[in-house]
Formats: sequence, structure tokens, C-alpha cells
Amino acid sequence: MKKWLNPGLWITLLITVAIGIWPIITQEAAKREVIFTVLMAIVFASSLNILLGYTGYVSFGHVVFFGLGGYVGMYLIKEYEASIWLAALAGGIAAGLLAFLLGKAILKLRGAYFALVTIGVNEAMRAFVNNFQPFGGPIGLELNFKVYKPYGGPADALWMVYYATFALAILVAVLSYAVKQSKFGLSLMAIREDEDAAEVMGVVPHNAKTWAFILSAILPGVVGVLFFFKNGNIEPAGAFRLHYSIENLVMVMLGGQGTVLGPVLGAFGYQRLRGFLVTNPIFKNIQLSIAGGLLLLIVLFIPAGAVGWLRNRFPRLRRVLS
Amino acid sequence: MKRTFIALFSLLILASLVLTACGPKTTPTPEPVATEAPSEEPVATEAPAEPAAVEKTVVVGFTASLTGKYEVSSTRQTNGLKLWMDQVNAAGGVKLADGTVITFESKFYDDESSTDRVQELYTKLATEDNADFLISPYSSGLTAAAAVIAEQYGKVMITTGAASDSVYKQGYTLVYQAYTPSSRYLTGAVDALANADPDAKKIAIVYENAKFSTGVVEAMKAYAESKGYEIVLFEGYDKDTTDFNPIINKVANAQPDAVMGGGHFQDGSAFAKQLYEKNIESIKFVALLVAPPEPTFAELGDAAVGVVGPSQWEPLAAYTPDFGPTSVEFEDAYKAAYGEEPSYHSAGGYVAGLILQKAIETAGSLDTDALIAALDAMDMTTFYGDIQFDTSEELHGLQIGHSMVYIQWQKDADGNLVKQVIWPLGGATAELIYPIR
Repeated sequence: MKKWLNPGLWITLLITVAIGIWPIITQEAAKREVIFTVLMAIVFASSLNILLGYTGYVSFGHVVFFGLGGYVGMYLIKEYEASIWLAALAGGIAAGLLAFLLGKAILKLRGAYFALVTIGVNEAMRAFVNNFQPFGGPIGLELNFKVYKPYGGPADALWMVYYATFALAILVAVLSYAVKQSKFGLSLMAIREDEDAAEVMGVVPHNAKTWAFILSAILPGVVGVLFFFKNGNIEPAGAFRLHYSIENLVMVMLGGQGTVLGPVLGAFGYQRLRGFLVTNPIFKNIQLSIAGGLLLLIVLFIPAGAVGWLRNRFPRLRRVLS
Repeated sequence: MKRTFIALFSLLILASLVLTACGPKTTPTPEPVATEAPSEEPVATEAPAEPAAVEKTVVVGFTASLTGKYEVSSTRQTNGLKLWMDQVNAAGGVKLADGTVITFESKFYDDESSTDRVQELYTKLATEDNADFLISPYSSGLTAAAAVIAEQYGKVMITTGAASDSVYKQGYTLVYQAYTPSSRYLTGAVDALANADPDAKKIAIVYENAKFSTGVVEAMKAYAESKGYEIVLFEGYDKDTTDFNPIINKVANAQPDAVMGGGHFQDGSAFAKQLYEKNIESIKFVALLVAPPEPTFAELGDAAVGVVGPSQWEPLAAYTPDFGPTSVEFEDAYKAAYGEEPSYHSAGGYVAGLILQKAIETAGSLDTDALIAALDAMDMTTFYGDIQFDTSEELHGLQIGHSMVYIQWQKDADGNLVKQVIWPLGGATAELIYPIR
């Protein structure tokens, strides 16, 4: 019981809620879209953190779960007129299933080999979907505008998707904390520090890693369905964009890998920075260079990420920041 | 050391504060004024003889791909649109029925050639920036995402650089297409072949496995089959293919009369070159997507000779416009403004503006319903060709007036490679070279 009263959880939740509630109070669509991008990144980055931060495995191709989940969901919505909730669930299950199968096959690999294979898996999935006719092949799937009608028209549907993503962001914060505080989380961190030693201590690394992989895959799959439903179309190039995984890796490292709060802060900071640069009249033409330069500075000087740095710098904060 | 860290950290905090402060303003956005009623004018004591000219600036919002894979095409499209805007504003704007003078202002952001932020940016354009009208991004994929937002906020959107048919099958009512849809990209090449040689019956289709090219060749295949052609090969290749020899061997085995397909610039050029080097006797006609209309295609030398390509617009195609500039006027103005030849992307950007201008002039107001009526009824000829939209419920907004022109690379009297328009016959500047070798 005591662990649920830890300020580490509540601070993270408070910050997530503070981010997500802003557009709900102002009821502005533009703000909603901006924060939607942030919440989506929080879900993705926090999920990734379970694998990257806790277990110490770098998954470059993590976007494969986002894309596959999106495709499965969109297919159900388009072909079987499934509700968005059912589709989102199916997207999450599909992503989890893929992670299970992949985990069994490739989590024996360590370090750079694993990272490389995840890229290959993403490319293979893109090539597969590109030639898979039920998913529309290279043309992809597009939703008819009337699909938003049952949800009260497009305006309400977009708000609904927003609330759902907000709920997911809260869920992922709780999940991330629960994993970190559990015995399972400890075994993951033991693997991160020394896999062989962990094995000697009674951890079954392969099983633990597979579960971490599955946990980190499900929510990106769900959020993929929400994103592409809102977008109205999905195509292979957009669904399996390696770039998006890498951006999320950066967010996790920016905020502090292996912490609960880190990915939330990283996602917010990174997405707001990019969003600001892209719409700022002075920077909009050189926004990528500026973002790149800033990231370089941060990685050079604060390699542990914002939360990691705070924890190292002010040991007292370790009690409240997890 | 510690001090540097503290300094750095406070700098970061400061930077993030500045960023938040510079973020979207929290001031409530006023509802976009659709109709600017002149009744707002103060009732002057000395009743004016004619209503004073009220000036109103209309914001045209869009995203452009300033970075990423669509950069070149998108920049040309934006340049075309800006040229239109500059010319219209320089000419004093558009005068409405009630005497209001409309001038235009553009507002755009970088979409990075990716769908990630398209909806975020279009929502910002529609709500915070109060854009009155929207122009689509470049490419069908980005446009599909933007169209949802246009529809949701009731903004008229003219799409350009987005040829895919599927966007117009989704039940939208405010989205209008300037490009000839992809389903008609290569059907004219089939007609040109039929016209040149009624005995040619076998077509091999080799295409890039991507959204746009697949849409094109699938429609073309159905069309060719309905005309009695036999498709002897239907082969897709991956987007980064550089070695086409295995595919070309299949083409050689199939002994087609014509080869059609292609994809984007790199692969299309490489395919044309390697097909030429293989020297397959039976091939009398080659029509490829996208690459041939680009001026740089001439760098292929002899391999370019005879290759036919569809283009949305060519400076050579002389339409007699009933609205807007002539081809020559457009070309000269574009060259003067940007120092390069306009491509069909540039023409597409310009014509999107023209469509908007014509709709506003016809409607005589900025009222959305009046504009929809004007766009639905539009039937005009511009330097770019005919413009007319499908008004049926299933395909609303699909371009049905405009058709592609087909060019062929030929050698002139001096042996220089030149582009000639060979189809439709009405606009042809030279006869089709057939067979090509």
C-alpha cells in the first residue's frame, strides 16, 4: 500500500494531468492538437522506457508496434465498421502478440545486435504491409468521413480521441511506476546492470525481457489506432517511420531513462520545442537545425537526462522523483 | 564545474519558460468572419455617394514541405501560389459585390513531408490563425490528413499536388482538386498508343510499389483491358530499386509492344536508361510516370529519346484561357520572380489560387455556401487547362475538367533533345515518334 503513496508516482501523475487538462479547460481545438502530439509521445516514450530504461535494451524499430496496431485497428474500422474502442483494443493485442513472438525469437540477442534487429523487423513489416492487399498495399487505408458520425460528428470524435489518449497517458504513468516498484521491475533492472549476474540470482532473463517487450508494445499499438483514426488514413511509409522511434528514444534520454517522470518530461519538452520551432516565424525555416543543436548540447552536458541529473545533483530529490 | 551546471540548468529552465510563453496564445480566438457585411460601416453624417471601399485581407493557410522528401516539388508549388497572390494583390485585389476589396495573405508552416504534424498545423491555421481558405500540402498522403481538418472546421480547401482519387471518395464537401486525378494519369498514353498503332496489343506494366504509382497503374490496367489490350506483365518494384535487370529480363520474355508504369524521378530515370540499354526489339512505345516531364530527364541522352510522360501542365500546351494569364505570361512572370523554369507543380500552385479567386469573384462574397455553389458550378479554362469539379455525392470535388498532356522527348533538327507535346492531338506540337526504334 505504502508504495502507492510515494510522491514519485503522484508528481508524475500531477504533471501528466496538468499537461493534459490544459486544452480541456480552454476548449481550444488548436491547443488540443498540440497537446495530443505531446500525450501521444508520453504514451510512446514511457512504454519504450520500460524496455530502454528499466531493461537496458535499445529498440530502434519500436514504431513497428505503433504502425501494426494502427493498421489492425484501421482495418477493423474500415472493413467491419468496428467501434474505435474495439479497434484500439485489437490494435493493442496485435502489437502485444507481435512483441511476444519477436521476444521469443530475438531477445536472446544483446546490445547492438538487438538494436539492429529491431530496425530490420520494422523494415520487414513495412515491406510486408506494402505487399499485403487486405491492408491496401502501398495505397493504404482511408476512412470515409461518415465514420465520425456515430461519435457525434468529427469535432466530437476528435475530442473523444483526445480524452482517450489522455487516459492512456495517465495509465502509462501508473503502469510505468507499478513496473518499477515491482519484483518484476527489479529483475529487469538487474538484467540491465548485469544479465549474467541476474541469471545467477534466479532471474530468468529471457522471460522477463519478453514480458518487458510485450508491456512496452501494447500501448503504442493502442495509441497507433487512435492516431490513425483521427488522421483518417494510414499508409506504410507513414505508419512505419523509423524516424519516429528515434525521436522517442531521444525523448526518453532527454527526460531521464529508467525514471517514471523522465519520459513524461522528455516528451513534453521535445514535442513543445519542435512544435514551437516549426510554427515560429523566425525559426520555422531552420527548425531542424536548431532542434538538432539543442539536443546535442543537452546530451553533451546532461547525459543522464533532466530527471537523472536532478537526482544525481540533489540526492534528497531521490525520495520524491522516481 | 558545479557552477556551470547550475548556470546551464537555469538557462534550460529559462528557455523552457520562454518557449511556453511563446507558445500558442491563450487569448480566445474570435470566430472567423465568413461574410464581411458592409453594414458595419459607420453611418456617415454626409451620406457618401458610393459605399467606401472596405478592405479586407483574406488569409490563405497551408503547409509546405520545407524539409524532407517533397521539398523540391512542394517549394515549386508554394512559389506558384505566392506568384498568384503577389499578382492579385498588386492588381488591387478582388472586388466583391458589396464593394469590399479583398486582398490575400498567406500563412504557412513546414510539415516536414510527414503526416505527424499535418493535422496539428492545419488546426492551428483554421482556428488560431483564422485562415479563411486552405490550400492542401503537397502529396496525397498529407492532403488526406489535412482534408479531415478542413471539413471539420468548414473551410474550403483547394488541393493541388494531390492526385490520388481516394481523398474525394470519403464524403467531403469542401475539398476541391486542381490536379487531374491519378486514375487518368496514364489512360491518355493508352489512347495515344491506340491512335498510333491499332495492331499493338501487348502492354507490360512495371511500376513503383507506392501509393501514387500503384493507384495510377491499377486504373490504367483496367482501362487498357477494357480497350482490348493484353497485360503481359504487371510487376511492382520497391521504392529504392536501382538495378532493374531482373525485371527487364521479364519484360524481354513477355515481348510487349509497349512498356508503361514508372514511379518517381530516380527509379523512373534508371529504369528508362536500363531498358534502353537492353534494346528489346518488340518495344515500340514507352510511357513512364513523373520523370519524363522534368527537364533533367534529358541528361539520359539517347535513352530519353522517344520516352513519353504525362504532365499536369506543359508550357507548350497552348490553351486559350478565359480566366487568368496565358501560359506565356505565367512562364515569364515565374521566371522573372524565381529565376527558373516553372514545372507543373508551380502551375498547380498558381492555379489553386486562380480557382479560389474565380470562386470568390463569382460568388461575390466570402460566404462558404456561396463559394461552394460557385465552385460546384465552375467550368473555366485557364492557362493550365479546363477546371471543373465532380458534384456527385460520392466523388464530390474530384477534378473532371482538366486532363493530362503527354510529352515525348524527341530530337530536333540540330540533334538536341526537346520535349514535344504529342497528346491530346488538339494541343500537339509534334507527331508521336512510333515505333521508338
